Amino acid sequence: MTGSRPAITTHRCAVTIGQSVPAEVEAGTDIRLNVSVTCVAGCDLSGAPIAVLAGEDAIVRTALSAYNGTENETENLCLRAPGTVGEHVWIVMFHRHESESIAHEEGSCPIMFKTVPHETTMAIWDVAPSPVLVDQPFTVKVGVKCATTCALGGQIVVVVDESGRRMGQGSLNEAPWLGTIALYVAEVALVAPANAGMATWSARFAETDLALPHADTSAAFTFLAALPPDHELTISVADTHTHAPIERVEIRCGCYRASTNAQGLAILQLPAGTYEVSAWKLGYDDAAPTTIEVNTDLGIQLETSPTPETNPDMERAWM
Amino acid sequence: MGIDEKDAAVSRRDFLRKGAAGVGAGALAGLAVSEVDAQRGGQRWDMSADFVTIGAGTAGLAGAVSALEHRATVIMVEENFDIGGHGMVSGGNVHLGGGNSRQKKFGVQDSADQVFNDWVRYDHRESRYSDRDLVRAFADENAAAFEFLIANGVQFTDESTGPGAASTVPRQGTAVQWPIKGEIMSADPTRRGSGIVRALEKSARAKGAKILLKHKLTSIVRENPGAGRVLGITATTDGRTVRIEAKKGVLVATGGHTSNVAFRRMFDPRLTEEYQVAGEPYSRQPGDGELAAMAIGAVLWGTASQTVDAGAWLNKTAYIGCRWGYSSLRWPAESPIFDRIKAMGLANVDWQNVILVNQAGRRFYNEVATGYDFLNAALGYSGNSTKLNGGGPIWAIFDADAVERQKWDPKPPYVDPEYFFSADTIQELARAIVNPYQTKPMPAAVLQETVTKYNSFVDAGADTDFKKPTPRYKIQKPPFYAAWSTPILHDSLCGLRTNAKSQVLDMQGQVIPGLYCAGESQGGFAQHGLGRAIVFGRIAGREAAQSGART
Repeated sequence: MTGSRPAITTHRCAVTIGQSVPAEVEAGTDIRLNVSVTCVAGCDLSGAPIAVLAGEDAIVRTALSAYNGTENETENLCLRAPGTVGEHVWIVMFHRHESESIAHEEGSCPIMFKTVPHETTMAIWDVAPSPVLVDQPFTVKVGVKCATTCALGGQIVVVVDESGRRMGQGSLNEAPWLGTIALYVAEVALVAPANAGMATWSARFAETDLALPHADTSAAFTFLAALPPDHELTISVADTHTHAPIERVEIRCGCYRASTNAQGLAILQLPAGTYEVSAWKLGYDDAAPTTIEVNTDLGIQLETSPTPETNPDMERAWM
Repeated sequence: MGIDEKDAAVSRRDFLRKGAAGVGAGALAGLAVSEVDAQRGGQRWDMSADFVTIGAGTAGLAGAVSALEHRATVIMVEENFDIGGHGMVSGGNVHLGGGNSRQKKFGVQDSADQVFNDWVRYDHRESRYSDRDLVRAFADENAAAFEFLIANGVQFTDESTGPGAASTVPRQGTAVQWPIKGEIMSADPTRRGSGIVRALEKSARAKGAKILLKHKLTSIVRENPGAGRVLGITATTDGRTVRIEAKKGVLVATGGHTSNVAFRRMFDPRLTEEYQVAGEPYSRQPGDGELAAMAIGAVLWGTASQTVDAGAWLNKTAYIGCRWGYSSLRWPAESPIFDRIKAMGLANVDWQNVILVNQAGRRFYNEVATGYDFLNAALGYSGNSTKLNGGGPIWAIFDADAVERQKWDPKPPYVDPEYFFSADTIQELARAIVNPYQTKPMPAAVLQETVTKYNSFVDAGADTDFKKPTPRYKIQKPPFYAAWSTPILHDSLCGLRTNAKSQVLDMQGQVIPGLYCAGESQGGFAQHGLGRAIVFGRIAGREAAQSGART
């Protein structure tokens, strides 16, 4: 039996993006979205194909899933942004879709965004020794973190002085610093300035050969360059009442620091001069600061005692 | 319609997972309250008693017991799931002297006149602005109020402490904490106020008080809005309105206004929403009693006392990284309301281990400092043009070395993820701070600059910005941390105007018949703590009970 094909009714369709795509996306990172298609006549379009196109190339092809009574949605799509920096336009395309008696017209929706380099930030710590001695070697740790936790092992960090002169460089370790998510660290060997005093240097990171583009970053750090020592200062710390030695008391003598050992002793090498000595330990009263004149090897004794346990209820007059 | 008292009691038992404290209403003594469904004086009441307290905290309980001792019937209306208010989570130090038995035992010479002279001192900001009529009544009733506590089962430690604030002789008595752990909200380090409110609750119930929990005040009913006698109150519970007649008096004992941002800003516009309140989330100070009383003609009194930069109305946090870090109130993980508290906070803060920055990422004061110079700096303008009032959140910034030195465990239950953040770098830390009160992102570059500058102060041994004594430690070793350290509010030091009989007065100084006030809702006497709440609550209960009943 033959017969004429029934007339096909055409319905227009609207394509929309579920979540707005950020205007700026870090290169090579994921973009998450879902696509909805609505037939003006309220048809269920389950199974109809959807594509996201970059020019002629399809980023993804998928199909519309469940109908919610108004529209069909895709599953949540996870698309990878281009790995290069630039401006991009993707097109979400619903191709003409035809059944026996109904044709659904083509529909599309553009996605415009810009890919940017990965942001990086920096931490600098552990200038050692502290203080550094003029014209002498010292080290500093420099850590770099990519906001999207890229592995940065092998990348180079450079340390420069106030004038921008390159003072040293280091290679970031392959494993992140313990306790961090993705901070890659280099220990950079440096030589202190020839003149004593405070110095402000900075570290810089500029990636060279990572798969994805990364922004440069830098951070400043300060350190004190001190004259070489002439004398030895021995500080003993004991309990005011029991006279027992107290260990792990932190001593500061000008810019020089040490902490006491099990015998309650701390030894500092320092140049001749006048210094204020302070000592502290958590749970103990601070020792009264003492001013000393150092022009030979010297020993001083400090005393402290445990801070009485305070009851915060009693610190307040009544509540 | 009657009150479903059974439901309220069950809710509380369920919450505490132990038997309800005290004696239930089934053991009402001879002085029974009545549940009525009758029209009287043009009003329809669901329940009736001689004396109705709005609030079952320290002042309300003192008022209730006092009224019962003078043969009044009592209904107590409490918004919370349990009694006690701020008293429940108080340190329990009661400032009552006047030559009481404990003072005599320890040889402390004191008298009512001495109490009065101390608490009207012009040279002390916690006494300077007080209403001397109230102080006189307080002084005259001091010793009797202390003996009243003893007679009603409150126990005190065997020691004499003080003086404190404006007092010149030791008057401080320290209550013994309530011994049943399931009936207290915190015991860290101690919450001895529980020994006061539980003992008074027990006494009140034994004498016949009916305590309606989870009943929230909605209005105070007066014969006419601006005239006539107070007749009772309305409250809501489980979506129902309950009308309670008070034949002899209503006591406003709702605990003050500090939790009400709009109310507290009447006295100090800086006190915007970021400032949390000591005692919360157990007890709130919503100002509802004051507002309901003001709606029928009551006025505030002694407002200067709220803003004199003295006492404990505003405090530096003692516990950081949690929402409520009041100095003497730490919420332990075993607290029955810990699901609301969420974190204990990091304790024993050595302020040399941290810097404090405002919402813009800038230091604002010497971190080691305390007192109102520090607090006023914390409340200063932070440079956020979208938030001119309030200083915004204050964050303690520190590093891995500080965690090691402090032996902190920077994880829940010590820290609240909404009030504590960590990151690998300082700039990331700034961006990680996402908190309801951080209304603009902290500028990462500014925080980095702040830390770098502070580290240079450590190298130099001198803080040239804020004179922090010999800054000791750099903030340098990752990971880095930001912990909520915003000052926390405490006292309401101003409230309704009353006379020496705790009767609430209107703008003309006339008594509003049948309306009383005590505790932190009462104005005119800036003393911090439990003493004045007990004295004026006790006065209110007695005066109301001895007044003629409305006919």
